[in-house]
Amino acid sequence: MVALVSVSLLTITVDYREGENGPLASLGRVALTVISPLQEVVTKVTHPIGNFFSTLVRLPAIRAENERLKDDVAELESQVATGVTDEQRLHELERVLELTQSLGPNVRTTAAEVIASGVSNFEWTITINKGSSQGVKLDLPVVASGKRLVGHVIRVAPDSSIVQLMVDPDSSVAGRLEISRTTGLLTGQGDRDMKMGLVDVSTEVQAGEQVVTAGYRISGGAQSLYPPGILIGTVSHVVPDVAALEKFITVSPAVDFSSLDIVLVVLSSGSR
Amino acid sequence: MRRFLTLAAVIVTALLLQTTVFSDVRLLGARPELMYLLTIVFAMLEGPSSGAITGFAGGMAQDFMLNQPKGITALTLTLLGYAVGLLRQYVVSPSPVLPVFVVAGGTFCGVLFYGLVSFLLGQFDSTALYLFRVAALSAVYNAILTPFVYPVLRRAAEASRSQRVVRW
Repeated sequence: MVALVSVSLLTITVDYREGENGPLASLGRVALTVISPLQEVVTKVTHPIGNFFSTLVRLPAIRAENERLKDDVAELESQVATGVTDEQRLHELERVLELTQSLGPNVRTTAAEVIASGVSNFEWTITINKGSSQGVKLDLPVVASGKRLVGHVIRVAPDSSIVQLMVDPDSSVAGRLEISRTTGLLTGQGDRDMKMGLVDVSTEVQAGEQVVTAGYRISGGAQSLYPPGILIGTVSHVVPDVAALEKFITVSPAVDFSSLDIVLVVLSSGSR
Repeated sequence: MRRFLTLAAVIVTALLLQTTVFSDVRLLGARPELMYLLTIVFAMLEGPSSGAITGFAGGMAQDFMLNQPKGITALTLTLLGYAVGLLRQYVVSPSPVLPVFVVAGGTFCGVLFYGLVSFLLGQFDSTALYLFRVAALSAVYNAILTPFVYPVLRRAAEASRSQRVVRW
């Protein structure tokens, strides 16, 4: 008993001091290598079952959503007639957006399957089935379809890696408000919406406004983890506070992390 | 040897279930803490030293999956296993629901202790409110799972005992 407690304390101390390069970190990678194939198999089998149960739980919500969608369809059908010109405009705008938003011409990505999620209630991570043998490296950004930000790679094994989601309290992203072009720092808050700080009080912010990654580069080599223009989410709440030095903004992420199946790892973004 | 293999199999199974099935099936956003459940049940069945060993092995295994300094879960579960094993010797109750309450209480205290240690190490980024919420929810979730898990673990523990007692 005393021995076990001492070993635990020793492990904590050693790992705390050694960080990412210590022998314990490599042991961690070995553990990841061993367990990820098993996780992949179990997920393949149980994911549909889990989906079934979580669907059952959400049934009332789904019914409500169905009603709402029916209403939406009816409304949209009436708009389709007048929508053609709007559509052309949209395409044009999208093309313009594409230019400013694009990850760059030489983006290389690799698609990966989500095979497991974090083991603890205090960490928001996922395990994907691509690793260093597919070119995945530490700190690479991970996005979902539609250029929506997921997070970044924090641990790599040969054929699997762990991705820290941007909602993890340990994760921060520099974000830019789409309308005012103001930047701020988004910090994860777990299951609650992300907090956006360091935004000037004089900035006009509206709920529903989109937030994208800022992608800064400071002369001297420091640059952000994420390329610019990747959608983070939409502003869900702005607290008007005249006395504060910065605006209190919450941002709801664009990705539903509970239903992630496939993600893209951005291997090189041209600018990097 | 047989004991070791049983323990390893149970721990790996718990880790797998925790990261796959129970990440889909949550209770108000929280998932159960299977490793805590496992430790408490083994401690109740086998006593403090077995509880401590199970807790240490399971906690260490879980730590290698985490992005925290390794050893925090191991420390938590070693102490938890020992404490539950000790307490069990003083409780004389044949009640079949006893394990459910012990698991709930043990998980709650264990998660709080884990939060406290990682806070002291500067590794805890959530709020105290969230910690209490998670401790309570995972305690309830673990309690719900106990009636299903307990018989399985008891059989595993009995089968792995090295010296079998032969009764005449």
